[in-house]
Amino acid sequence: MRVLAIVPAFNEERSLPAVVAGLRRSARSVDVCVVDDGSTDGTAEVARSLGVTVLSIPVNLGIGGAVQAGYQWARDHGYDVAVQVDGDGQHDTSFLPALVEAVVSGHAGLVVGSRFVGPPASGAFRSTWTRRAGIRYLSWMLRLRCGARVTDPTSGFRAAGRPAIELFARSYPPDYPEPESIAVAARAGLTVAEVPVRMSARLHGESSISAWRSLYYLVKVSLALVVLPTRRPASEDLL
Amino acid sequence: MSSDLIPLELQAISIAVLAVFLLWVLRLVRTQRLSLRDSLVWVVTTLFATMVALFPGILVRAAHLVGFQVASNAVFGAAILYLAVNVLVNTVAGSQNAARIRRLSQECAALRAELEATRASSSGAVGAAPGKAGPGPTP
Repeated sequence: MRVLAIVPAFNEERSLPAVVAGLRRSARSVDVCVVDDGSTDGTAEVARSLGVTVLSIPVNLGIGGAVQAGYQWARDHGYDVAVQVDGDGQHDTSFLPALVEAVVSGHAGLVVGSRFVGPPASGAFRSTWTRRAGIRYLSWMLRLRCGARVTDPTSGFRAAGRPAIELFARSYPPDYPEPESIAVAARAGLTVAEVPVRMSARLHGESSISAWRSLYYLVKVSLALVVLPTRRPASEDLL
Repeated sequence: MSSDLIPLELQAISIAVLAVFLLWVLRLVRTQRLSLRDSLVWVVTTLFATMVALFPGILVRAAHLVGFQVASNAVFGAAILYLAVNVLVNTVAGSQNAARIRRLSQECAALRAELEATRASSSGAVGAAPGKAGPGPTP
């Protein structure tokens, strides 16, 4: 069983060493692939010094393009499971084995790490109430349009089995991809499940999602979820 | 050729402007800044506009046929629709180009990682070869 941790990173030179150390502590046999999404700081050098595979994208593609590069690497190198872990240190990597296990047991093709299932963990980060309202709306949209029951659709902490790896390598939304990619998986007939995880506030830097962007996020993802079920599949999707 | 629908001066100016525009498009093609394929729509539109400037009666008849009372309103309407379609076509091209750039960038990143891995393994193999394990102890 070969497992790849895909770590998208944009200007995360300060957070990256802790993230990679956490991954190695939590799952020794997991290969790590840092996707440097056109960073302007020393992200790529820091990642190389940590002895992991580094995909250096020459321009900034945004989170979707970066994550997809990781899925393509996983597909081309025969990985059975790929786990997405953010490079900003928000995801508690000790939950990685649970995500992988849910895929390996055949429970689901895509397993999303959720902050909102299971008992609330002490000291856990569950976001502000406005964000949680947005998250509830997106959950509702996903259930309505694609029949996927997901409580934390914006979570970027997730594990994909081989069919989902191949699907995402071919077709992955370029920006704000988390809810839409769940829809892509559900529409392709994959089972989507959740396991409880803990997230923390960012270690360094700022979130890429501001108030105005949140609005754009909701509108864009809503449109995607409305249009997606009627879209014609393409060989290399324009999402 | 001349008509009492528009003054001769205006007709002359229109044709001159269109001729300059056509020459500009052709120059862009000659200097390789615009592809021949993409220039076609501009060349055809400019020639069509020149025809209308030469024979304004065509436009007046067409406008009345569709139901416009004033021919100039038909010109504005058609121009706005034409520009909107043009912008949409360009946006589509932009989306396609963005997808291509994304794919190429991802491929570049993967190839670079493969190259680094190959280099590392070949230099490791050379380093591990007998007699090439680095400088020995100094006497």
